[in-house]
Amino acid sequence: MKKSGSLLGAWCFMQCQITSPSSFISLLFTFIVVFFAHSAVGATPDPTEQFRPFLEKVTKTLADPGLKTIPKKDQSQRIINVVREHFDFREMSKRVIGQQWRGLSEKEQAEFEALFTQLLQYAYVGKIDEYSGQQVQFTQQRIKGERAEVQTLLVDKDRSIPVSYILLLRGNQWMAYDVVVEGVSLIRNYMEQFTEILRKDGYPGLVKQVKEKIAELEKNIKKT
Amino acid sequence: MFLIATILCWSSLSLGADFLSDESYEDQAASIKVADPIEPLNRAVFTFNDKVYIWVLDPVATGYSKVLPADIRGCISNFFYNLGEPVRSVNCLLQGRVRDSGLTLGRFVINSICGVFGLADPASNEFKIAPIYANLGETLSVWGVGDGFYLVVPLIGSSTLRDFTGTVVDGMAMSTYSPWNDDALTVATVQGANTVNRTSLRLGEYEELKSLSFDPYVAFRNGYFQVRNKQRDHLKNNK
Repeated sequence: MKKSGSLLGAWCFMQCQITSPSSFISLLFTFIVVFFAHSAVGATPDPTEQFRPFLEKVTKTLADPGLKTIPKKDQSQRIINVVREHFDFREMSKRVIGQQWRGLSEKEQAEFEALFTQLLQYAYVGKIDEYSGQQVQFTQQRIKGERAEVQTLLVDKDRSIPVSYILLLRGNQWMAYDVVVEGVSLIRNYMEQFTEILRKDGYPGLVKQVKEKIAELEKNIKKT
Repeated sequence: MFLIATILCWSSLSLGADFLSDESYEDQAASIKVADPIEPLNRAVFTFNDKVYIWVLDPVATGYSKVLPADIRGCISNFFYNLGEPVRSVNCLLQGRVRDSGLTLGRFVINSICGVFGLADPASNEFKIAPIYANLGETLSVWGVGDGFYLVVPLIGSSTLRDFTGTVVDGMAMSTYSPWNDDALTVATVQGANTVNRTSLRLGEYEELKSLSFDPYVAFRNGYFQVRNKQRDHLKNNK
């Protein structure tokens, strides 16, 4: 951004030396370009600006006619690969487990992250067929330090469903760690269920149940 | 006025969980501050409601949805919602939300006249007055009455002792002016029709949520409190 802005500024400067009548306007333009190019560096990136092309990419992938021709499991894999660009599944896993996350070994953390990602992948595979060109409208955003909330409306033919993405700034990228649909947070809902399982059966019990759920969902995918 | 503002601020602070703060995630009981001492009984009622949904409500609502197109079902849903507006308006007033009370009453007048007895919703579409949430359960909470405990009511579902009391009283208040208050059977039939109509607009959602959860009882309890927190967070809703 900085480099291209400076180059553009230099180009404008050259232009204004050649064409003297409009030189003042060009010079002004140069300053504006350079000023904005510089001020953009170091500032927090705009969450909506990042999520607009990202969600467009997701809906484009969903609308791709070629998607329906491959097996269900591969469909969900293709979607999750796109979703991964702006979803932090590790942060999600950490939050659904809660305080016990710190007590897990690195291997266990990686294992759970893979399982939880797979759970979400299979859970939402049914949604792929339901997609029929619904559009995403951006309504509002809130930024609080390194956290942000991007509020959207999923516009269907009969009604609009409010969907919020809760984001965390990782480097220069806003990454989602929760999705709030009609006021219900996915992560908080799973967290409460997992807390009870962890309390009763501990981490091994939770892994067992998640694996069972994945197997159950996988069986349903094959059936359809 | 200051007192009202204080009450509103207090209620929004205690109800509104901010997604951008970690406390709302770390505090395991963030969404469930309400005790569930009669969990075994609640679970039994939950199972009963689940069976009623699967064996009665879902098949009836599915058949019904095939007979009537979605827009007509939407109109019926508007009609029932509109009947509740006067009760909502009074509750807003009891909570000190004077502006909301007036808007709700305005919605009732507009929709009853321009919307043909509330079948359409010109108040939202043309006058841009969005539906406003209010009920007696919320009024009681503003007045400082606690939830009591979590309660799963047969055929009705998730509630709390306080909120269910509110639902009953709100229903009684509504029956004083609703077109049908002749006998219990008529009231029950109308309520049943309303439930079938409402279900027909959200077919498949219940089964889907259930299939994704590990413990449907806990998942729906958590969902109920999360939705309620959002509905009662008026400062955020009015922004």
